[in-house]
Amino acid sequence: MRRNVVTCLGLALLTACASSAGRRQDTAAAPPPATGMRDTDFPASDSAAVVHLLNRLAFGPRPGDIARVQRMGMAAWVEQQLAPARTADPVEAEVRRAYETAFLSPAEQYRRFPPPNLAQRAARQQPGDSGDMRQRPPPRDRRPDDPMMDSGPGADSMMLRQLARGRRELAGDVQMATLARHVLSERQLLEVMSDFWFNHFNVFLGKQAARWTTADYVERAIRPNALGRFADLLEATATHPAMLVYLDNAQSVRPGARPPLPPNLMGRRPGAPRGRPVDEAREMQQLREVFERMPTGINENYARELLELHTLGVDGGYTQADVQNVARILTGWSIAGPGRAGARLGQDPNRILTFEYRDWAHDRDEKVVLGQTFPAGGGIEEGRRLLQMLAAHPATARHISHKLCARFVADTPPDGCVDAAVVAWRRSDGDIREVVRAIVRSEDFWASANRRTKVKSPLEFVVSALRATLARPDTTARLGLVLQQLGQPLFLQQVPTGYPETSEDWVNSGALLARMNVAMGFASGRMPGLESGLDSILQPDRDLDALIARVNAVILGGQASPNTLRVLREQVADARDARQARTMAVAFALGSPDFQKQ
Amino acid sequence: MSHCSCNRRAFVRAGGLALVSLGGLDPLFLGRAAYAARRQGTRGKVLVCVFQRGAVDGLSMVVPYAEEAYYSERRRIAIPRPGTGDGAALDLDGRFGLHPRLAPIKPLWNAGSLAIVHAVGSPDATRSHFDAQDYMESGTPGVKSTRDGWLNRALRHGREHRATPFRGVAFGQQLPRALHGSAPALAIADLQAFGIRAPQGAARDRLTAAFEALYGGEQTGIIASTAAESFEAVQMLRSANPTRNQPEHGAEYPRGPFGRAMLQAAQLIKTDLGAEIVFVDVGGWDTHINQGADQGQLAARLTEVGGALAAFATDLGERMADVVVLTMSEFGRTVAENGNGGTDHGHATAMMVMGGGARGGRVLGTWPGLAREQRFEGRDLAVTTDFRDLFAEIASRHLGITQLDALFPGHTLRPESFPGVMG
Repeated sequence: MRRNVVTCLGLALLTACASSAGRRQDTAAAPPPATGMRDTDFPASDSAAVVHLLNRLAFGPRPGDIARVQRMGMAAWVEQQLAPARTADPVEAEVRRAYETAFLSPAEQYRRFPPPNLAQRAARQQPGDSGDMRQRPPPRDRRPDDPMMDSGPGADSMMLRQLARGRRELAGDVQMATLARHVLSERQLLEVMSDFWFNHFNVFLGKQAARWTTADYVERAIRPNALGRFADLLEATATHPAMLVYLDNAQSVRPGARPPLPPNLMGRRPGAPRGRPVDEAREMQQLREVFERMPTGINENYARELLELHTLGVDGGYTQADVQNVARILTGWSIAGPGRAGARLGQDPNRILTFEYRDWAHDRDEKVVLGQTFPAGGGIEEGRRLLQMLAAHPATARHISHKLCARFVADTPPDGCVDAAVVAWRRSDGDIREVVRAIVRSEDFWASANRRTKVKSPLEFVVSALRATLARPDTTARLGLVLQQLGQPLFLQQVPTGYPETSEDWVNSGALLARMNVAMGFASGRMPGLESGLDSILQPDRDLDALIARVNAVILGGQASPNTLRVLREQVADARDARQARTMAVAFALGSPDFQKQ
Repeated sequence: MSHCSCNRRAFVRAGGLALVSLGGLDPLFLGRAAYAARRQGTRGKVLVCVFQRGAVDGLSMVVPYAEEAYYSERRRIAIPRPGTGDGAALDLDGRFGLHPRLAPIKPLWNAGSLAIVHAVGSPDATRSHFDAQDYMESGTPGVKSTRDGWLNRALRHGREHRATPFRGVAFGQQLPRALHGSAPALAIADLQAFGIRAPQGAARDRLTAAFEALYGGEQTGIIASTAAESFEAVQMLRSANPTRNQPEHGAEYPRGPFGRAMLQAAQLIKTDLGAEIVFVDVGGWDTHINQGADQGQLAARLTEVGGALAAFATDLGERMADVVVLTMSEFGRTVAENGNGGTDHGHATAMMVMGGGARGGRVLGTWPGLAREQRFEGRDLAVTTDFRDLFAEIASRHLGITQLDALFPGHTLRPESFPGVMG
């Protein structure tokens, strides 16, 4: 069913999708009482309240959004956002066109952007050669002064440069597809939740095969489940190649496990070549090398982070023995690798970089996790049972409710909000929409102490600035670099914790100054990487008081502090002309403390 | 936690303001004050960390030329033994030789201010760049969930009286993992451009003042304190103007990002803004293909590194007595060359320690040998010095940090395990 929804989206058959998603919502989730948001759940829809809602459940308002939400009512807006498949979104097709490599399958990405050594070997094949990737020893007589050995303009280094460019292009498209959706999509809550969940189930685009699988991870594991059931999301991440590579579960095997030999060599062991053909001896030799490099035991990385970060939380009451047994249960959860090793073991090249369960690597002995016994003889299904058990665990509900309240309400989330979220989680069996409804309904969400007190993350700052000024990312990757300057490039957080939800960790001197510079860049209309939309929302105006009022209304949601208004007014007073006055007013508005807060 | 952080920030502000007002009154006086402080011996020790990202081939950087296996396993890319003509290794001690492109730092070796630790690395066996860099920067091999970096923990040791925004500085766009954490640390891409950017000085001053006024309206909270800290840092840099410190003693930095970063590191140190830990990245070491010998990719990278390190030492002159430069890399490379004239991910590597306090002129650490049975997993140079013991020795004997356990949680530090790089 989930896959159906994705396919529908891809084909932009939105009406068909809407009905099927609607059915799914009714049958699969089936929360007991009627749970839709009602107007009585909300305070009066003054603009401050609407700005608050749009800052937290969306990436900030665009010009006109506040009035639009006031017209339709906050309850109706939230319900619309909770059912993204029902909202037509022309942006989706645009994004797929503009950043097309991000939407290729992992196998296709790998073919188009191969690793350097593979490409180099391929280039060395003689024309008319069989085209397989078997290693061909390079000529022995090369001298160090041979251009092939140089970093000068030899054929190889040309190719290496081209490959590096290709890799950057791919990484850029992957970042930009997400950034453009955040800025432009009408399905804002889906965008916010996709960011939250990616960060929760973080992978690092720069690690090995994650390079070709991160886009697919976003498309097929995160986004389709971002407003679904937590259990589905958990399993989608657990079985995705990006996660399996990033946290090394792909390498985790029962100690001493060895893969079966490919059919043509069946019945022999490496090291005991038999029969005449020289080729066969060479093949055995290569297989032996493959075997030498095979992982030889359990890798606990994923198991540990699964318990500590993804589900129970660090205080979730598990032991080191639980970690080890979780790792044993997940032995054999791997990927069809793209390398030569896979090819030598007879792997189907069309299946590379997909999930692969290796029964030969699986530990079939009995395990106990959190007091639950997983009897001997289990296969892949015991891993699924484990994931369901973790998704349903009370510690998981609390851990993730806490983190959601930190995102939506306050860096140090109030107990009331967390409790309400936990109740909704347990009542609905981990239906993420129900948890979001409970948070928005909680008094804490609307309390004045929690308004305009969170600092926007670098991503929230950049996306909300673009939205406020109606700017659009262009088709280059340059906007992604802005996030890098601000310290949180998309998909490039190395550590499995993701970027912290709390601002203490990301607000620092260099980063704050960088925001002011970025604000000036956005306002100047000359920022590389985006098309400015200022002319359509703010005509240069000779009446400076009117200009300031309009900038306050459009960019700061009418919430500018008296100090900010005073400084803005002083600064535009001696502008050269109306255009420069507008540039300065926008720069100081986007760079003001008011705009850093949400 | 937030309470703590407020105190820290408030303190920084007070310290910063004092300095700024000095600078604002009379730049010459600031110079004299700094000079006086230096004379009184309050000038601090500085550690400059150079991270060779991508895993440098320690075996061709510091060549174990007495090992037969080095030559039999590297028919195309071995560095010839010393005394065999152009492109040969530069003899260090009868066993090891420097890569010929590191010739500019050989005089430092001869003068006893360059030490080398060989066969150093991580107890964790990973051959993933990602994991190994993470472990080296967090200082906790095998533990991925450590949130802060070891250099940030080093910044937290008890020397508040010297707190300035410049205590921990990384030259680059981003703060490296090693400097992540609760102590303030700055990432500076370019000393001259740090702050509000504008084409002309007058416009920049005006814009800076305007932003400062905007943020002056904030009374409390992290934005207010960070903004105050930021504008102080900008002011301090502007008054002190480190870029007026042009290279001295005929030092010539090589062109390229690493040379530029080391030049800026020297400028910052000479300005006496309280820099204690400086971090510089230098990439391009992942030589899987066409590594080369005395020419080629590795040689080109070492040319830049050797040139920049030598220029840095020349430039700082007697000030090097207070400075240690430590090179590091996440792991080394295979003993054997591969089919592409390169080397693959290995285990131990070599690290260099340069500076006045170094017990230089020697290759330290236990040499494990290169015969197949002496190698790690039959393939790589084995680790005989845990990188944490090297880092801890420098933190302790150079920076004077006493609480070493907090630097490397989970690792029992004993001075007898230190490799002995500091006098």
